[in-house]
Amino acid sequence: MRAFVLIALSAYSVSAQDLAERAHGVLAKNCLGCHSSAAKLSGLDLSTREAALKGGHAGPALVPGDAISSRLYKAVARLTGVPAMPAANLLPSAEVAILKEWIDSGAPWLAAPSTPVPNWWSFQPIRRPAVPAAQSTWAKNPIDHFIAVKHAEKKLSPAPEADRATLVRRLYLDLTGLPPTAAQLADAPAYEQLVDQLLASPRYGEKWGRYWLDLVRYSDTAGFELDTHIPDAWRYRDYVIDSFNNDKPYTLFLREQIAGDELFRDDPVAITGTGYYCVGPNRDYFPDQADINRVETLTDFVDTTSSVVLGLSAGCARCHDHKFDPIPQRDYFRMQAVFAPFVKTRVPLSRLESLGFDTGENKREIQLREIGEQIRDVRSKCKDLANCADPADAAKLLQVQQRLVKMFANYKAKPFACGITDISDVSPKTFIPGKGKQEIFPGFFTALGGGDISLDPPELPVATGPIPYQPTTGRRTALAEWLTKADHPLTNRVIVNRIWQQHFGRGIVATPNDFGTRGTAPSHPELLDWLASEFAANGGSFKRLHRLILTSSTYRQTVAPNPADPENLYLSGFKRRRLVAEEIHDAVLQSAGSLNMKMHGKPVVPPLSKEELFNLIGRPEETWVLSYDPTEYTRRAVYMFQKRTFRLPMLEVFDAPESMMTCARRESSTSAPQSLSLFNGDFLLRQARAMSTELSAVPDPIQTAWQRILVRPPTAAELESATAFLAQQQQNAGTREAALTELVRGLFNLNEFLYVD
Amino acid sequence: MLTRRNFLNKTGAGFGALAAASLLEAGAKPSHFPTKVKTVIYLFMHGGVSHIDTWDPKPELTKRSGQTIPASFVKGLKTSRIDFTKAIMRGSPWQFRRHGQSGLEISDLFPNIAKHADSLALVRSCYGDAFDHAPAMYLRSTGSQFPGRPSLGSWSLYGLGSENENLPGFVVMSDGAMKCGPQGYGAGFLPAIHQGTVFRGGKYPILDLATPDGIAAKTQRTTLDFLNQLNQRHLAARQGDSDLEARLASYELAYRMQAAAPDAVDISSETEATKKLYGIGEPKTDDFGRKCLLARRLAERGVRFIQLYSGTHQGDDWDAHSDLTGGHNKMAAKSDLPISGLLTDLKARGLLDQTLVIWGTEFGRTPLAEGANGRDHHPYAFSMWMAGAGIEGGKVYGSTDEFGLRPVENPVDSHDVNATILRLMGMDHTKLTYFYQSRDMRLTDVHGEREFTKFLLS
Repeated sequence: MRAFVLIALSAYSVSAQDLAERAHGVLAKNCLGCHSSAAKLSGLDLSTREAALKGGHAGPALVPGDAISSRLYKAVARLTGVPAMPAANLLPSAEVAILKEWIDSGAPWLAAPSTPVPNWWSFQPIRRPAVPAAQSTWAKNPIDHFIAVKHAEKKLSPAPEADRATLVRRLYLDLTGLPPTAAQLADAPAYEQLVDQLLASPRYGEKWGRYWLDLVRYSDTAGFELDTHIPDAWRYRDYVIDSFNNDKPYTLFLREQIAGDELFRDDPVAITGTGYYCVGPNRDYFPDQADINRVETLTDFVDTTSSVVLGLSAGCARCHDHKFDPIPQRDYFRMQAVFAPFVKTRVPLSRLESLGFDTGENKREIQLREIGEQIRDVRSKCKDLANCADPADAAKLLQVQQRLVKMFANYKAKPFACGITDISDVSPKTFIPGKGKQEIFPGFFTALGGGDISLDPPELPVATGPIPYQPTTGRRTALAEWLTKADHPLTNRVIVNRIWQQHFGRGIVATPNDFGTRGTAPSHPELLDWLASEFAANGGSFKRLHRLILTSSTYRQTVAPNPADPENLYLSGFKRRRLVAEEIHDAVLQSAGSLNMKMHGKPVVPPLSKEELFNLIGRPEETWVLSYDPTEYTRRAVYMFQKRTFRLPMLEVFDAPESMMTCARRESSTSAPQSLSLFNGDFLLRQARAMSTELSAVPDPIQTAWQRILVRPPTAAELESATAFLAQQQQNAGTREAALTELVRGLFNLNEFLYVD
Repeated sequence: MLTRRNFLNKTGAGFGALAAASLLEAGAKPSHFPTKVKTVIYLFMHGGVSHIDTWDPKPELTKRSGQTIPASFVKGLKTSRIDFTKAIMRGSPWQFRRHGQSGLEISDLFPNIAKHADSLALVRSCYGDAFDHAPAMYLRSTGSQFPGRPSLGSWSLYGLGSENENLPGFVVMSDGAMKCGPQGYGAGFLPAIHQGTVFRGGKYPILDLATPDGIAAKTQRTTLDFLNQLNQRHLAARQGDSDLEARLASYELAYRMQAAAPDAVDISSETEATKKLYGIGEPKTDDFGRKCLLARRLAERGVRFIQLYSGTHQGDDWDAHSDLTGGHNKMAAKSDLPISGLLTDLKARGLLDQTLVIWGTEFGRTPLAEGANGRDHHPYAFSMWMAGAGIEGGKVYGSTDEFGLRPVENPVDSHDVNATILRLMGMDHTKLTYFYQSRDMRLTDVHGEREFTKFLLS
């Protein structure tokens, strides 16, 4: 160690000017991210000599001429008495040596001030890199050239292209969340046309909307012990699905969700986007919890928005300056101040219809009051209509029934969405708890060039559309504009990385919600920047981004584990993945022939067994109110009731998110309860039984079962063992149909069914 | 009992040992400190047990029963339903007596548990800041009022693994949902295998464990073999994929669970004397008695963490807004004998030293009256106890003021208590971390510095 330091020193023994340059290089790279005039964590600013001499809260950082006594040196040399810095990584000894020599020589300062933007890679502007020219015939599109160059560098070669059936299944699942049917496989057009066809399918929005819902911790209920319904949350779910299907540009998608109420005052669909801020966990219905609830809600808004859009975990800065990323506590509360004037609101989807609905509710309420009394009057005397001792009571009950039927004859879901707006154009003040009464004004992360913003509340035009105007502060509009500005370094990098991750199982940055210093460095930084700039150049079109990725040779490789690339970090093959919970659910229904493709609408509540409902809070007749129409029970999982304290057991075991916090990447666990669920659970058994009834009526049930579940004919060997199996099970179980149920149960549990190659 | 080698032999060649073991977090991991403790049995009294009527006698309160309390005492205290400055003080309707050689004061609500006074370490100085059930339950088990973080049981399993390969390592027993919902025993951001598995009643305690109605065992096994055969063929072309291998193993494991779990919950081999110890067969105590007996059986089988709830969300719990005496008498009558039986049985079998038994609740109840015969939630002070795990019993940690409003000596919050529990299990709460959202997350966040293991063990 000592020898190394000596060599390093001699290598860097240079002129004073040169030494200062080198020292400032070290400071810029490692320190100024948090300790500049902009961020000033712990009160320390190292960007000028005066500021460094003055030091931070803990005292002067520098004693010129005496490194050993300088806090700065002690911190980087990890001596005792001061916190070790940088917090996230060890400074190389050569750099520590530079700082020591520089301080010992009097810490001379360079004339030019150092850059205020930290040197962290993800905070740098996106500069579109040139596509490298890989010496490879394999490379089909720009993505492949980036990948091939890395392959060459790492001495890896790509895996061969997967066969057609594999690719069709992969594409179907990745774009629509459903495997192809046998007919779809047979009729599939050429690869690139298939990509377009699937991108145009409404199933695409259901699949990719679900991913966005994971990110924004979507649920139909509020959580906690009351777990009340979030009124009309599902309108937001539908908005998300439609936005993906319509290929809404990402910037617009964000603007609508963050500030649709201000930016698109006449467009109820755009305002529905602000449902983003209603579908999180909350205690809105708790008595006497308004203060805690408000703080928790604001925290959720800041944390979720920061994680989802910027890929930065700001949460740490709620209590203190972020220890690893350049987010001072002040920045956190600047962002909180953006949301401070929020109020949850009903968004009328059509002024006329909503007025009609409210009028109807007004009349119904008056009638219900009387009906309530009428019921109270007979309730103690009759158990139900059939069990009334006194015919007069029975008549009263009958009348109640008739009145209710008439009242609700034309009842429809109310024409409102949930959303937020501002309480007025004046905001409540924001303070940092425990840090005095200095008001914090809205603003954005300083290290990203944010800082305080000046605001003129947007002017209100005269209302002509369906929505009554209400004055607002314009704070969220400013946030939306800042996040979606063309040169924002993070917004596009973060989203293209998410899409990449969903296609390849791992992002170019493996930590999709952490682009800060604790996150993982990008495996292909130039590719990430190229994709981000291409995405921007294409107007933030998700569909064009998918197309770009899916038509690459990189995506079309076979699954081919390579010991030289064990994590498949360099994409030397394709990574096999397990279907996610919803895909398993939907694929079973599709194979069984019972999938109902109806889109949109109120959440579906399917019947569950008593065992399955064991953990439900509240009485099932009140908290698990079955959807009336049984054909709804077999709709796609994205439309199922998503309750915060109770997930559908079959989805839960397969890692459906809890929706308490943003979920950027599904886990893919393997567990015995999964096998129990698929092998013994009601959901699968019901479908297997329905399917076996059908199969017993066809001449070639084994072939049919194979085609419908595995989407291929059985091999000769499989046909043989399946035939023997059926014969044996007919003996064991008694009937042909029961034996077929067993065949179907078996096939649905196969890895071939549960994984995508 | 199946050893891992035995298990792997039976499930056939080709499964990676890692793949199989990862399914249940099976296989004990080394602890930070040496410890004899293998299992925790956490008896959670759902609804909020009144500390001043159970473990924390307040003669001064009884003396002043009926008076209002000086405003200076209750400054800063609030609940949903009563006004501290207006409500009247209410002394406990139960008598406190001294028990055991230690003379520990315990109320008449728990005559049987009181017989173990010399084994109990009471903690009278618990406090929290959440005054509704669910947030307070999250706080106790996860360290945060907000749902979604890993629970104590999940952290324990994550830190230490399980010693049984055929049963879940973290088992939860309740009568149905609690007000906290599954997030009270959830895995939060830890991998899902660390989540508490709910044991229901009946022969097949785990959801979907039973072979479906109408399908015979032989039929089931035949289908499983068929499935295995096809999966093996699929795997043969995809050698070395540990996920696929693990899934094959998961079916065999599920199948073994079908034997192991009913065996664990089958108490027919227990003697009549043992059953009587737990109050099994008596209408009041049968249900909780069975749960306590199962807890012992699971502890014997190496299950790492067993969480029992007394009371559900359906009103049949310790919540006591309107009927303190009726409710607490009823709930105590259901659980007192079973818990005492559990302690006796563990002791008799030499298991108490390797088992940490915890009795806790989400908050206490107000020393002030709510209505004619109620007490409101009181998170500002409450009691719990621990036994087993080599703990020196017959003593008390911390104390509250003369009305039981707030701790005055050695206050401990949920982090301090959880740090202590982890320490007793051999874990350093500052080192048990999981990297999530850019941080090394801990059960105790940045707290837990008032951990009090030393007091318990000396």
